[in-house]
Amino acid sequence: MRGLKTLALLGAGSVLGLGISFIFNTAEARKPFTEEDLKLMNEELIALVKKGDELWHSPKLGKNGLTCANCHPDAANTNPHTFPKFQDNVGKVATLREMINWCIERPLEGKALPEDSEEMKALEAYAIYMYRGYTLRPGDNTRAYPPVRVESGPGYP
Amino acid sequence: MRGISRRKFLKVSAKAGVAAFTAGAVSPLLGVVNVTEAKTTKRSKVTPFRFVVIGDAHLYEMPNHRFDKTFERAINDIINMRPKPDFVLFIGDLAQFGKVKELEKGKRYLDRLKKAGIPYRIIPGEHDWYLDMGKTWKEMFGRPYWSFDHKGVHFIGMNSILVRDYWTARNMSPWERMLAIAELECHICGLWGVREEQLEWLEKDVKNLSPDTPIVIFTHSPLWDYYPRWNFQTEDAPQIREILSKFEKVIAIHGHVHQVVYNKTGNMVHIGNLATAWPWPYPPVELPFPKIRMLRVDPGDIYDGVGFASTFIDDTFLGIMKYHTWADLIPEDIKDGVPL
Repeated sequence: MRGLKTLALLGAGSVLGLGISFIFNTAEARKPFTEEDLKLMNEELIALVKKGDELWHSPKLGKNGLTCANCHPDAANTNPHTFPKFQDNVGKVATLREMINWCIERPLEGKALPEDSEEMKALEAYAIYMYRGYTLRPGDNTRAYPPVRVESGPGYP
Repeated sequence: MRGISRRKFLKVSAKAGVAAFTAGAVSPLLGVVNVTEAKTTKRSKVTPFRFVVIGDAHLYEMPNHRFDKTFERAINDIINMRPKPDFVLFIGDLAQFGKVKELEKGKRYLDRLKKAGIPYRIIPGEHDWYLDMGKTWKEMFGRPYWSFDHKGVHFIGMNSILVRDYWTARNMSPWERMLAIAELECHICGLWGVREEQLEWLEKDVKNLSPDTPIVIFTHSPLWDYYPRWNFQTEDAPQIREILSKFEKVIAIHGHVHQVVYNKTGNMVHIGNLATAWPWPYPPVELPFPKIRMLRVDPGDIYDGVGFASTFIDDTFLGIMKYHTWADLIPEDIKDGVPL
C-alpha cells in the first residue's frame, strides 16, 4: 500500500514537473516533425537499410564466397529483437553486432568489422528492419523467429 | 477401394503372390474385388528396395571449400551404406554459380558413386542453370527431365526452375543473371516452373499407366505453395498435380528448401530433402505438419543442419524416408524415418 502511495505521489510530482518545465522552456519547445521532415528522415534510414541489404548479399565480407544471405535470406533467423542475449556459442551475453562479427569470422571465414563502422551499422539496420513490428524480447533463446512476410520486391519501401 | 483398405489389400496380394485375386476376393475386410483391379495390382507389384536422395551441394570453384567437405562426407557415407542403395538421385544445385569448374567438381564426386557400383540420376537446380542456360549441365548430364521404371515403381524427374526472361530487358550479362537468381530472395526473378513442353511430356509419359502404378516424382522445388517469395513453389504444380491425380498414390520428393518439411495434397505426399551445403531457415508461414521439422542448428559446426536422405519402399508402396545427419538435427519421433 505504502509503495502504491509513493508511486502515486511520484506520478503527480512528475506531471507537475513536466508542466513547470514546459512553462519555463516555451522558447525551446519542439513542434512535432512535419510530414516532410519525417519523409526525409525515413529516406535516410532506408538508404542505410539498402546499403545493408547489398552488404548482406556481398561475398566481400568473407573469404570463402559465402554471404550473410546464404543462411539468412531476408535476414531470417537473425532474431534482432531478442538481443542482447546469452549466446551459447560465445559463452556470454552478446549484442547483435557481436553476433554479426561472429558470423563474418566463422561461417564466412572473414575479418571482423569495427563495431562502430558504417558497414556494421548498415548490416544491423537491414536485419532490424526485416524484423520491424516485433516486440522486444531481450534474452529470448526459446525459438527462432521468421522475418516479416514479404510478397515481392526488396522487402522494404 | 481407397486409403487403408487399399494398402491392406496390396499387402495381402503381395504375400499371397499368385493367389492375390482369390485372397482379395474373399477377404472379409474388403468385400468383393473386381477382376480388373486384382489383375492390375498383380502387375504393379513392388519389389522392396532402397534409394538415396542427395542434393543442394552448392559447390564453389575454390579448392578445399567447406561445402566440398560436407558433400564428400555424404558421398562416402552413401558408398559405405549396407545394403547398397539401388540408386542415388541428385536433386539439383550441384554448383553454386553454374560454372564449368563447379559442375566438373560435382561430377567427379558423383562419379565416385558409379565407380562404387551405385548408379545415379540427376535433375538441375537454378544454381546449375542460369550462367549458360543449362548448356554445360546438359552436356554433362543429358536431358533435364526423364522417367524410368524400377522394381515396379515409375520414377519421374523434372526441371522445375524455369523462370521468365528477367535479364534481356535489363541488359544483364550471363554472370549478372546468375548472381541475381543465386539469391533466394531474388527481387526480380519471379516464380519458376516446368513450363509447357514438360507438361506435355508428362501427360504422354503417364498416359498408359494404370492408376495403381506407384509413382515417385523428383523436382528441385516443392510441388505445392510453401513460400513463393523464396521460390519454395513450382508455378505449374497445380497442372502437374492434376495430371498425376489419376494415380492412387504419388510420392513427391524435392530439394531447394534445405530443410525437413512435409505436406499432403490430394493423392500426393511431399517431402523436402536436406542440403549438404547449409540449412535454410523456416519461412514466415505455418508448417502444414509442424512435428515434421528439424531442430536448432549450431552455425559453428559445418556438419550440422545438413545431410541427405534414404527412402525404403516396401511391397505395398509405403515409403519410409530417413534423414541421414551428423548432428542432433532430427526430432526423436521421426528419427527412424518419415512414412510416405
